[in-house]
Amino acid sequence: MAIVNLQDVTYKYPLTEEPAIRNIHLQVEEGEFVAIVGPNGAGKSTLCYTLSGFIPHFFKGELNGTVEIAGVETQKSSLDEWVLNVGLAFQNPFNQISGSKFTVYEEIAFGLENIGVPRGEMKARVEAAMAMTAISDLADRSPYSLSGGQQQRVALTSILVMEPKVLVLDEPTSQMDPIGTREVFQVIKEMSARGMTVILVEHKIEWIAEFADRVIALHNGEILLEGTPGEVLTSPLLPERGFGISRYTSVARTASGQGLWPGDRRLPITLQEAVDGFARDRK
Amino acid sequence: MKDKLTFYIERESSLHRVNPLTKLVMVFAFIILAFFGPGFWLPSLLVVLGIIPLSFLGRVQREYFRTAGRLLLPVVGFLFLMQSVFHPDVGDSRVLLQVWVLNVTVEGVRFAYLTASRIFVMVSAFILFLLTTHPSELMSDLTRRGLSGTFAYVITATLQIIPQMQAKASTIIDAQRSRGLDTDGSFRKRVGALLPLTGPLVFGSLVEVEERAIAIEARAFTSKLEKTSLREIPDTKLDKAARWFFLLLIVLAFGSKLWPS
Repeated sequence: MAIVNLQDVTYKYPLTEEPAIRNIHLQVEEGEFVAIVGPNGAGKSTLCYTLSGFIPHFFKGELNGTVEIAGVETQKSSLDEWVLNVGLAFQNPFNQISGSKFTVYEEIAFGLENIGVPRGEMKARVEAAMAMTAISDLADRSPYSLSGGQQQRVALTSILVMEPKVLVLDEPTSQMDPIGTREVFQVIKEMSARGMTVILVEHKIEWIAEFADRVIALHNGEILLEGTPGEVLTSPLLPERGFGISRYTSVARTASGQGLWPGDRRLPITLQEAVDGFARDRK
Repeated sequence: MKDKLTFYIERESSLHRVNPLTKLVMVFAFIILAFFGPGFWLPSLLVVLGIIPLSFLGRVQREYFRTAGRLLLPVVGFLFLMQSVFHPDVGDSRVLLQVWVLNVTVEGVRFAYLTASRIFVMVSAFILFLLTTHPSELMSDLTRRGLSGTFAYVITATLQIIPQMQAKASTIIDAQRSRGLDTDGSFRKRVGALLPLTGPLVFGSLVEVEERAIAIEARAFTSKLEKTSLREIPDTKLDKAARWFFLLLIVLAFGSKLWPS
């Protein structure tokens, strides 16, 4: 059974005319890794807030359709119950730090304190989560003294330690350098490998190609395309509608126009696919 | 950015192990005794026989003397000087010294000394408290005793926000300077240069508030479940007894003021 089930979801922010997302149908299976791509203003963050319960519990406005996660409907739940099922991490790692804790260890324990986890179990869970995201060495540092990549891993760990069923990530690497991006993706990969359901909004197409089971392309608040990374990310529709695409796809498409890439071969997304594809013709 | 945002010195000592509320009550007892207790020498005795020995007990004597010396001595010294010089001469006071048109009287010096020593007790008791009490521990303890979680959050978050704001302000200043804003020069010029800083700093912080709110909500901050605490905060029978003792001292101090002598 699908753990995430969205039926005909339309949402309008307060004081706006146009809905930010409309007629969204989305089912995500338990353990699935779904990536969402889309140009600015496509409704990606709105979808994340809807999945994580901040719509309608934090942002008011008008929500229609049903949003159901793990069999519970968002309208019939409260935010503090909902966040136990769905974890949300977003772009700016700095703003995700609680601001009231002095060490990384305390920071990660913050959520567990809020839900009344006994001290012994709390420590065990914090330490296990830090080991999983490879930040055990940061335990005694101030969350504010960390690099962006480290901070984002702390933010992710703080969510993971709550053991949500579904992890929603809204561009978690958009402010990271390549090293930070790699660090954060290692964590996401690990989570997915452990069977967590991951829904990731991301602009870094090559990373998506590597990890996602399914890609959803969002445009003007609606689902434009849906399918495997290979199908969606190489679709000619994407560049036409202002989506960012992989530079390797773009090079191969140009090459294809000049007869340097066979028309029947799927366009590459990652560097490795491009290398393999071009190398095949040279033999 | 500096890792250290508080006065707290992590050390193994019996004073560190005392319950935060007990220490807080003790600090207030010291302050109230100093201001309302009987006797001219009481505040000085509190420092010499109370606060200083406690700083040794807490093994923070060096930090205590350094902080008290840097922070407090200039203020207290200045206060002492001004009070003794400008203390109103009521006529029958004994003049100790004459400086230009000002009379330094025995009463003036006594009054100045008393005021300075009271201030010294107040601030240095707090310094000792901050040196040996982790803010998280204080807040966890107070939350456990019924203080609202939101209030505790506001206090600890405020403690941390100052260095962040400083860092952000210096980034904004650097950005403005790189676009030609002159922040050196005369006082007026420098004050003028502060204006372009306030917009980005204030509005930027307001925008952050929403994200911060979402982030802490995502971690069940508003959960109705009973909160627990990572830190184990000792609260022994001795702590309870000590708190009653200090409360008694506070009552006695007030009592001594009200008692018709």
